[in-house]
Amino acid sequence: MTLVVGVDIGNSTTEACAAEIGEDGLITYLAGALARTTGVKGTTENVAGVVEVVRDALAAAGRAPADLDTILINEATPVISGLAMETITETIITESTMIGHNPDTPGGAGLGVGTTVSLGELPGRAPGSPVICVVGAGVDYERAAGDINAATARGVPVTGAIVHGDDANLIANRLRRPIPVVDEVTLVEKVPLGMPAAVEVAEPGRTIRTLSNSYGIATVFQLDPEQTRMIAPVARALVGNRSAVVVRTPTGDITDRRIPAGSLTLIGETARRVVKVDAGAEEIMATLRGVRPLADAAGEPGTHVGGMFARVRDTMSELTAMPVGEVRIKDVLAVDTFVPQRVTGGLAGEFALENAVALAAMVRTSRGPMERLAARLRAELGVRVLIGGVEADMAVLGALTTPGVGRPVAILDLGGGSTDAAVTTARGQVESVHLAGAGDLVTSLIDSELGLENPGLAEEIKKFPLAKAESFFHIRMEDGTARFFDEPLPPDAFARVLVLTDTGMHPIPTRHTMEKIRQVRRAAKERVFVVNALRALEQVAPRGNVRQIGFVVVLGGSALDFEIPDMIAQAVAEFGIVSGTGNIRGTEGPRNAVATGLVAHYTAARTAEEPAHALG
Amino acid sequence: MSAANSPAQSAPRQSERTRVLENRPVNLDGFVEEWPEVGMVAMDSPYDPRPSVRVENGVIVEMDGKQRADFDFLDQFIADHAIDVEATERAMALSPVEIAHLLVDPKVSRGEVLAVSCGLTPAALLEVVKTMNVVEMMMALQKMRARRTPANQAHSTSARDNPIQVAADAAEAALRGFRELETTLGVVRYAPLVAIALQVGAQAGKPGALTQCALEEATELELGMRGITAYAETISVYGTEPVFCDGDDTPWSKTFLASAYASRGIKMRFTSGTGSEVQMGYAEGKSMLYLEIRCILVTKGAGVQGLQNGSISCIGVPGAVPAGIRAVLAENLIASTVDLECASGNDQSFSHSDMRRTARLLPQLLPGTDFVCSGYSAVPNYDNMFAGSNLDSEDYDDWNVIQRDLQVDGGLRHVPEAELLAVRNRAARALRGVFAYLDLPPITEKEIEAVTYAHGSNDLPLRDVLEDLKAAQSVMDRGVTGLDIVKGLEAGGFPDIAEALLGVLKQRISGDLLHTSAILTPELTTLSAINDANDYAGPGSGYRPSGERWEEMKRLRHVVSARNPEQELG
Amino acid sequence: MADTTTRVLTLLEKGPAEQGRRTDEVVIGVSPAFGDFFSRTIVDLPHAEVLRELLAGVEEQGVHARVVRVRGSSDLAVIAHTAAKLSGSGIAIGVLSRGTTMIHQKDLVRLSNLELFPQAPLMDLETFRKVGRNAARYAKGESPQPVPSRNDYMARPRWQAKAALLHIKETEFVRAGAAPVELEVLIRMADAG
Repeated sequence: MTLVVGVDIGNSTTEACAAEIGEDGLITYLAGALARTTGVKGTTENVAGVVEVVRDALAAAGRAPADLDTILINEATPVISGLAMETITETIITESTMIGHNPDTPGGAGLGVGTTVSLGELPGRAPGSPVICVVGAGVDYERAAGDINAATARGVPVTGAIVHGDDANLIANRLRRPIPVVDEVTLVEKVPLGMPAAVEVAEPGRTIRTLSNSYGIATVFQLDPEQTRMIAPVARALVGNRSAVVVRTPTGDITDRRIPAGSLTLIGETARRVVKVDAGAEEIMATLRGVRPLADAAGEPGTHVGGMFARVRDTMSELTAMPVGEVRIKDVLAVDTFVPQRVTGGLAGEFALENAVALAAMVRTSRGPMERLAARLRAELGVRVLIGGVEADMAVLGALTTPGVGRPVAILDLGGGSTDAAVTTARGQVESVHLAGAGDLVTSLIDSELGLENPGLAEEIKKFPLAKAESFFHIRMEDGTARFFDEPLPPDAFARVLVLTDTGMHPIPTRHTMEKIRQVRRAAKERVFVVNALRALEQVAPRGNVRQIGFVVVLGGSALDFEIPDMIAQAVAEFGIVSGTGNIRGTEGPRNAVATGLVAHYTAARTAEEPAHALG
Repeated sequence: MSAANSPAQSAPRQSERTRVLENRPVNLDGFVEEWPEVGMVAMDSPYDPRPSVRVENGVIVEMDGKQRADFDFLDQFIADHAIDVEATERAMALSPVEIAHLLVDPKVSRGEVLAVSCGLTPAALLEVVKTMNVVEMMMALQKMRARRTPANQAHSTSARDNPIQVAADAAEAALRGFRELETTLGVVRYAPLVAIALQVGAQAGKPGALTQCALEEATELELGMRGITAYAETISVYGTEPVFCDGDDTPWSKTFLASAYASRGIKMRFTSGTGSEVQMGYAEGKSMLYLEIRCILVTKGAGVQGLQNGSISCIGVPGAVPAGIRAVLAENLIASTVDLECASGNDQSFSHSDMRRTARLLPQLLPGTDFVCSGYSAVPNYDNMFAGSNLDSEDYDDWNVIQRDLQVDGGLRHVPEAELLAVRNRAARALRGVFAYLDLPPITEKEIEAVTYAHGSNDLPLRDVLEDLKAAQSVMDRGVTGLDIVKGLEAGGFPDIAEALLGVLKQRISGDLLHTSAILTPELTTLSAINDANDYAGPGSGYRPSGERWEEMKRLRHVVSARNPEQELG
Repeated sequence: MADTTTRVLTLLEKGPAEQGRRTDEVVIGVSPAFGDFFSRTIVDLPHAEVLRELLAGVEEQGVHARVVRVRGSSDLAVIAHTAAKLSGSGIAIGVLSRGTTMIHQKDLVRLSNLELFPQAPLMDLETFRKVGRNAARYAKGESPQPVPSRNDYMARPRWQAKAALLHIKETEFVRAGAAPVELEVLIRMADAG
């Protein structure tokens, strides 16, 4: 009997599997253990974590450290990934033609059309033609309502109002004749006066109908077809709002500008293509498919993408003592996203969702300083240490211990920085691939799309389900079920959307609804995990045909996610593939695959009398 | 229209001098009229009781005009535990003026005063100090301070609870001379990390600087028992029953807590101060000082070695009434007079006026107390999580000059910038080593660089707060102790700092820090009222800065060289 | 320019405060001497303006407001919690004469709160408007961002003693055991006769 421990050094956790190998090559798995990886994967800083996990595994197995024969470690290739985001569109309003923000509480309802007049000019206004009243900063709501009532009584028809403060209901409630009032227009002094304008407010729970429709605006301002074409972006920008103001000025306009975001050079083994980042994710990914396999990539200096590529190269070079010039970008994932940005020229602090492209890049090295790591381990523990083969191959071997799995099998390891896949054919050959884009990119998409500016919270939203605190004693979960409590919830949870983390419920300090947050979370996972899962399987599948793979086993930390494995299973179901979360050795769940694979591989090699690559 | 008679037109013409005076910072301070019926009076109230005592069968049956049956729980606790029954009738037979003379007269030794003061009732102590002006009180305090050598205490906190900042500022504070360092939190859950940082920074700055973390009582005790902190101070006592009850406490429950600290050899003192009862509306018509004297005697009765007083967080209340700052000095004096260590306030934002801030400080600085400040802010006041101090890190040079001008030892010294940068940097690195050893979130090179040169938290990169909070919880869950910090320092390559912290922890076993007014010297020996007893006996006696310490005090940021006037001594 | 007209506050007692039935209401609980012995906060903001802004903040959100006087205590938590228990939505604002303010909810323990504004000297009219707005939004079941609470370490030297004085004075108006009363709020221009 030989006592061995397989050790898998991952990005965040180090896992061990203790086993005894009989003379007949029969493996008896004894115990598994898990610890946090110390330092960056594949470097000598890992020693502390390995020592701990080996000790724990032996203790769990009830074996003395002195009986240990060999430690098997995986060839942990350092993978460094980077993220960048480029905003590629910008909404610009010129000459203040449009106020399209969504105050919480506009006042009144309906559509009012007239000439813009300031509150101060109202008393001097001759009766007759309709006006829209503009109420500046610091005017008390009672005075504003009084003056409007007085004007109406004199025969000046005030048909709508634009207000600086949060006073719309306060004013509307005091008017003898109700009119639509749009409030919280912070730069109200810039609203052009003496111009034709329209104010529209919808009933609570509804959205505006006239000003969000190009022909509606054309009707209000009697526009010809050419002018109507010009104002179409205004109407589009107002879709979905509960209130809006449109002022017709001689040259006013709203434009949707594309911001030059630099270009990306993708270098394949045979071709080299340049693609503009502002062309969008689809174009970038199509270009990438055209040059694959990717040999290297570069971003235009001075852009976010250029900076990100440089950062990734520097980190890897520091880590492996490889010259920067020799570090190669091996994969890129582009994802279309949007970021809330303040509209240039807006008068009410309007935000528009601008298009952006998020990019993940990945570098890896052939073999890191593994020999040094192994030597240090040997010195520390005084046992034989073997580097036991490629990580992906080992993971496949480990995955095969999941009950019900047969060949050909593919594994998907969805990590933080990269998505790894490997497939083994019926004859046991293993193909593997590392792709850019995984958990960290999802976190970053959630953070920017929800405008959180809090990556820690975004990470929690990614990992845990949501709920809304409907009272102090119950929450509504995102699946619609209610959960009750005997003790009141903490006050900061009340009425908020919560993320139910393992360390308690944390309120999400935004105004997004639970449904919106859920949708952003799921869409981010779809765009990264599902897209990458398919991309990875496509690259490892025999002849690129995903249908040739019979089984997919999802491994790694993301396999423990509450929805990712289901999303992937659904996506691959159409190819007739069985997909699910791994259950290594029928006991370990999606953990311990590589460690288990190391033991299996070593046993097989020993039985075949192939000398392993021994050290020391 | 109402705009017709605008106030600008109708207001009487104002003198230019009035305008200048109106704009002086002191007029931003608040001042109120006395109202003795509700306790809004510093120390001279017609409603305070007259001193009296009667002993029957070794039990005090009457105190300050009240029969034992009418005692509230403070009276009972004081009568049974704080007043020496053997000495009380003899002591109470002396007139207040006679006792005040004993206090002021340098020829009467401290011990002789204690033989009398141990028998005085709260009202009697009040009558004694009412006969004294502030100069007489300072004379008395100079003699009655328990420890011969004065010391000073600092706050090291961060508006963002940044542990690296706390470590660096603690190291700088220890190097500048503070012998006790205190922290507290904005986000309470950060406490374990910040307490570790304070301890590491303190020992990196100067071995033996003692640390504490002010929190709710249970956590504060736990951090102390684990050896992550070295002492405790924020155990509050109050002068009337309702205020005590408001915090679900009694003198007995506080005493029980005090014995929990003593059982582990942990130094601790209580906290009280004038103004807290009237602030809460429960002064029962007594003067602020009378109620504070009850707190001082509760502390004495609990067997606790010392007290932090001098109004503390209520300083705005005595500060607003006539003779309020005289009363604050009187509370420090009485604590010393009943043989308690006194950490004498000057630890909370007090005035907009620099002149008034200094005037409030001198009565403690000039005679010297066990800790002149019970919290000099070693960070800019915007970072001070105790809501600002009377002095902060921007006042260091002023303090050093005042020490030098008057040849008075306030415990601090000028340190050249190179030494400060080195020690701040080293404290941050040592903390990085400890965090790495304990598997806490990493500290980056960028953070270390920033904190080396920073003035406050505004100059520092933001931490990942969620990660830090998770790690802080894990420190509690995993049962990390002071010894783990020692191991982390050793593993991180800081054996000298590890040695210093181990030395502080060894005090738990010897118990030497339980002596009155105990501090540790940088050589890790205890200095207390036992082996460094105050021996002031008039001119030419007692502690006076001299020799090496005086040479150190002479150094400032800018001193023109006498040998070469074109040069400055740094 | 801000409106500088003086307004006068009249608070008429209408009888015992009733338990509210409307779920779209916020109850504002004022302290024993608010708008009565006292007419201004610690920084001289007229109570007429304070109450007007609180009411406006609630009304702007389309929520109904009711004002009661809690006569039995000068403790802000007691005042706010008493008002919350009378509120049909369970949400209330408590406000002391000196300006200290709290948003409370009936199911919370008394010593807790939804939002607390402990530093009366830092309360300006804009903040009172926001407090009214947030209370109304809680009543609607929305998730408002808490009103940023300000802090100033130099508030102590200036205001601590006056705050103590105001507290004691207010406490003198406490009538132990007296039930809360419903108030009718009249806010008029000073020169309107």
